[in-house]
Amino acid sequence: MAAKTVLLVDDSRVARMMTRRLIEVSRAGWTVVEAASGEEALEQYAGAKPDFVVLDVNMPGMGGMETARRLKALAPDLPVTLLTANIQDPVRLQAEALGVGFLTKPVREDALLDFLSGGAP
Amino acid sequence: MIDFVGDAERDAVTELLNIAIGQAAASLSQLVEDEVRLSVPFVDFLTPSQAVTRLEEETQGADSVAVRQHFEGHFYGDILLIFPERRSLDLVRHMLGDQVPLEQLTELEQEALLEVGNIILNACLGSLANQLGLPVEGSLPTYVRGRGARILNLGEAKGLPGHEEMVMFLHVDFALLTKDVNGYLAFVMDIVSARHFVEAVQAYVAEQMAG
Repeated sequence: MAAKTVLLVDDSRVARMMTRRLIEVSRAGWTVVEAASGEEALEQYAGAKPDFVVLDVNMPGMGGMETARRLKALAPDLPVTLLTANIQDPVRLQAEALGVGFLTKPVREDALLDFLSGGAP
Repeated sequence: MIDFVGDAERDAVTELLNIAIGQAAASLSQLVEDEVRLSVPFVDFLTPSQAVTRLEEETQGADSVAVRQHFEGHFYGDILLIFPERRSLDLVRHMLGDQVPLEQLTELEQEALLEVGNIILNACLGSLANQLGLPVEGSLPTYVRGRGARILNLGEAKGLPGHEEMVMFLHVDFALLTKDVNGYLAFVMDIVSARHFVEAVQAYVAEQMAG
C-alpha cells in the first residue's frame, strides 16, 4: 500500500498520541500530521495535502463539524471522519448530512483502519 | 421537601442511568482493557453541604482529582468523574501503555485524565440524551484537584433557582476488576433542572409503555 498522509485534528495531545500510535503500528511509513484546532487544521491542509482527515468535534474555537464543512467545500472527495466522544444521534446525523464518517472514542482499531482503507466508518 | 419523585420515578431514573453508565463503563473498559464493575446508581436529594460531606466521606477526606463537564439542554447541571488522587496516575498508565516513560506519564497525567473524562462523561451524557431524545450541549471538560467542596464547586451555583433548596445527586461507584483503580461518577442538578429531568424520564417511560 502506497504511503499516505493523515491529518489528525484534536485539541487533546493525549488523544492525538493514542490515534497516532494506532496508525503508525498498522500503517508503517505513513505520515501523520497533527493539528490542535480547526483553524490549524485548515492551515495544515493547504501544506500537507492529506489523503485522510480525522477530526475531533468539541474543540475550542472552530469545532470539528465546521472544519469538516470547510474541508469538504475545498475538497469534496477528501475522506474525512469525525472521531468524537459525543455519541449523540444529532451529531451522527449531521456527519451523515455532511458526507463525513462518524467514529466514536475510544476509537476501535478495526473501524479506524476501515476508514484508512477507504471504507465507510 | 422533595415531593415530585416517587418510587416509580426514582426507579425509572435509576434504570436510565444504569444504561447510560453502562455505556460509559464500556468505554472505560475499552480504554484500560479491563472489566469495570459498577454499583447500583443511587439518587439523593441533598443540600450542597450534604453533597460535599457525602463525597468527602467516600473519598475518606483525601484529595481527589476530577473531570467536570457542564451540560445544558432541556435539563442542565454538571457531570463529574472523580478518582482518588493516589490512583489517577495508575489509570493513566493503563491507558497509555507501558511504552510511555514515567516522566512523560506524569507530564501527561492531567491531559490524559481530561481525555478519559471527555470520553466517559460524553458516553454517559450522550446515552441519556439519545434515550430521552433530548440533545444536550456539553462544555469542554475541566480538570479539578482537591477536597469535596472544590470538586463539586457548588458555591458557584449560588443564585441559581432552587440552589438554596437542594441538589439532585446521582452517583455510581466503579472499580476496575484487576487494576485496583476505583472512582465515582456523579451528576449534580439543581431542583429546577432535576424537575425537568424527571419529567423527561416520565415522558420516556410513558412512551415506552404505550409501545
